[in-house]
Amino acid sequence: MINIKKLNKTYASGALAVDQLSLQVNEGEILALLGPNGAGKSSTIRVLTTLSGFDDGEVTVAGYNIDSEQEKVRQSIGYVAQETGVDYFLTGRENLMLQGHLYRMKKKDIVSRIDELANYFEIADVLDTLVSNYSGGMRRKLDIATALIHRPKVLFLDEPTLGLDTPSRQSLWRYIRKLNDELNLTILLTTHYLEEADKLSNRVAIIHKGQIKVIENPDTLKDQIRGDVVSLQFKVPEDKNQIANGLSKNDFVKDQKWEQDKLHLYVSNGATSIPRLIENCSALNYTVENVSYSRPTLDDVFIQYTGSSIDASEGDGENKWWEKWAGKGGGGKWAKKWQEEQADDSPENTTDEKQWSAEEAEQWHKSKEWSEEETTQWQDNKQWNQEESAAWHESQQPQAESTEPLQAQPMELKKKKAENTQKEKQSDTTDSETSWPKNNDGDENNNQSWGNNNDKKWPDGSDK
Amino acid sequence: MLTDTWYLFNKYVKISMRMPLWSLFSLIQPLIWLFIFGSLFEYFAELPGFPADTYIDYFVPGVLIMTVLFGSSWAGVSLLREISAGTVDKMLASPASRSAIVLSRVLHSAVQVVIQALIVLVAAWMMGATTSYNPIYILLAMSIILLLGVAFAALSNGLAIMLQREEPLVIMGNLMTMPLMFFSSAMVPEKFMPEWIHAIGIVNPIEYAVTGIRSILAAEPDFNGFAMGFGVTFLFSAATLYWAISAFKAYRD
Repeated sequence: MINIKKLNKTYASGALAVDQLSLQVNEGEILALLGPNGAGKSSTIRVLTTLSGFDDGEVTVAGYNIDSEQEKVRQSIGYVAQETGVDYFLTGRENLMLQGHLYRMKKKDIVSRIDELANYFEIADVLDTLVSNYSGGMRRKLDIATALIHRPKVLFLDEPTLGLDTPSRQSLWRYIRKLNDELNLTILLTTHYLEEADKLSNRVAIIHKGQIKVIENPDTLKDQIRGDVVSLQFKVPEDKNQIANGLSKNDFVKDQKWEQDKLHLYVSNGATSIPRLIENCSALNYTVENVSYSRPTLDDVFIQYTGSSIDASEGDGENKWWEKWAGKGGGGKWAKKWQEEQADDSPENTTDEKQWSAEEAEQWHKSKEWSEEETTQWQDNKQWNQEESAAWHESQQPQAESTEPLQAQPMELKKKKAENTQKEKQSDTTDSETSWPKNNDGDENNNQSWGNNNDKKWPDGSDK
Repeated sequence: MLTDTWYLFNKYVKISMRMPLWSLFSLIQPLIWLFIFGSLFEYFAELPGFPADTYIDYFVPGVLIMTVLFGSSWAGVSLLREISAGTVDKMLASPASRSAIVLSRVLHSAVQVVIQALIVLVAAWMMGATTSYNPIYILLAMSIILLLGVAFAALSNGLAIMLQREEPLVIMGNLMTMPLMFFSSAMVPEKFMPEWIHAIGIVNPIEYAVTGIRSILAAEPDFNGFAMGFGVTFLFSAATLYWAISAFKAYRD
C-alpha cells in the first residue's frame, strides 16, 4: 500500500529529517513508527501525505507516485495530524460537511456518510454542538471521522493519542483497531508511546535519527531481547553459587544475577521454564519463597536498537522555526553556536552513544539492588504527595477552571523528588566507579514517582 | 477552485457571524481616529486653500482607508493560528485547491472590511460629515475599499507564510499601514505636504485609493478620478493576490 525506497529529506535549515529510509506497508496492516520526538516520524508522514517535499527517493502511496500524482494520492489518503485539524468554531457536522466538499463529494453522499461515521464513532448526539465544547477525546474522534469521509484506502495518524487521558486513549485504540478489522483499512501511525505501538500495531518500525532500525512484530521484537525475566526469592540462600550453578544447567537459562535473596534468571520463555526451575530447586533442597516473571517491554527493545531509552532520546530532525532567524544579523558567539549545534547532528555520533549504552545497560542491572531502597523512599514520598494533593484539591475547588496550579504543583514535587533521589544516588554510587549516566536516572525516577498519574509524566511531547 | 473558495469562504463567514464582536474589534481604531482627528484638526479647514468646508468632510475618505488598513493588515495572523491549529495541513492533505485557501481568506477579510467601512460611514454621518450619501456612489466607493482590502489581506497572508511567526508579521503590518497612510493625502491635503512626501505619494497605492474615493464621494463626483483610483487599486490587488497565492503554493517545508 505504501512503498518507500531510500527516502531522503533535509530541511532548509540543514537538519536531516529522514535518512535513506525504506519501508513497505502492506494492505490492511497497522504499522507503527515508533521513536522519540524529532526522530523523523512526522517528517516521514508529512512527505507521504504530500505536505512536505523531499530530496530524493521513490515513494508510492496507494499505487500512486507522491511526486507526479499528488492529486490521486490526496484522494486516496486520510490524514489526522498531531494538532487537531477540526475547526473549533464549527459544529461537528459542519466540519464533516466542509471536508466532504473539499473532497468534491456529492452533497447527498456526504450526508449519508456523516450519519455512518457519526454512528461508528458514537458522536451522533454531539454532531450539532460546536467543536470548542468537545472533550479532547471527542475532538480526536471527530478528527478521524473527517479524515475518513471520502473512504480513503490509507489512513495516516500522527501521534493519535497525544495529550489524551488514559480512558480516552484506550477507547481510541479500540476504534482504530476496529477500523482496521472491519474495513481492512491500512493504517500508518506514529507514536512515542511504547504501549501504543505494542497494543495497536501489527508491525513496529523503530525509527531513530531519520533511519529505520528494525521493523518487526512487537512480540517478536520483545522475544529477541534476552527473553523473559524469572525472579526466584529464596528463604535462606546459604550457597548462592550452588543454586546458580544448579539452575544454569538448564539450557534455556541465558543469564542470571543475584540481588540479595533474589535470583533473576533471563530465560527464553518464562511461562514454561518456571515449573522446571522450581523442580530443580526442590531437587537441590532449596525452598523457593516467591516467584515472579516479567516480559521485556518495548523500551528494552528500543534501547537495544537505538542505544537510548525512548524517554531520554530527543532527535534533531524537526523543522524548527527559529533556524531561520538563528544567528542572522549578528548574534555574536551564539551565531557560531547555532552552527556548531547543527554540525553535531552528524550520524557518527550515534556509534558513540551505543558504546556508552552497553555500559549503561550493565549499570542498569546493578541498579536493581539500589532500587529497593529507592522504592521505600518513593513510598515515603508518595504519602507525602497524597497529603499534598489533598491540600491541593481543597485549594483548587473554588477555581476549578484555571489549570495553572495543577501543573505547577507536580512540577515542584518532581523537583523535590529529583533532589532527593539525587542525594540518594550519590551516596549509593560511591562504591561503583562509573557515575550514573545522566540521561536516564532523572527521567526514570520522576516517572516512578508519578506512576499513578500517567499522563503527567510525559513531557509536553509535541513535535513542534 | 471557485467552488472550494465558496465553501471555505462560507466557513469563515460562519465563524465571523458566531463572534461578531471579534470581527468588529478592529473598528475601534478608525472610530477613535475619526473622533480625535476630527476635533484635533478642526481648524485646518479655516486655512486658506483647504479643499473642504470642514476637516471632517475632508477626512471621511481617509478614515475609510484607515478602516481597510487596520482591518486587513493583520489577516495573516489568523492564518498562522490556523496553521498551528492544524486545519491548514488538513486542507493541504486534501485535494482542495491551494489558491482557494488563500482566496477565501482574503475575500473574507475584504468583505469584513467593507462592512466595517459602512459602519464608519454611519458614524461619520452622525458626527455631521457632509459627504455624498448617494447609494450608488457609496457602492462605487466600496468597490475600491473591497479591492484595497483584498490587497492588504493578501500582503499580510503572503508575509505570514514567508515569516512564519506572529511577531515580525505584526511589525510588518504596522509598517504597511502607518507610513503609507501619512505618505498619502488621507489626512492632509496635497497642498500642505512637503514636496518629497508628495513625490512618494505617486507610487503609493493608498494615495490612488483615497483620491478615488474622495472623487466619487465629492459633492460633484469626478468619475475620472474614481476610475484612476479603481484601476490602480485593481492592479495592486491583483498583483498582491498573485504573489500571496504563489507564496502559499511554495509553502512546503
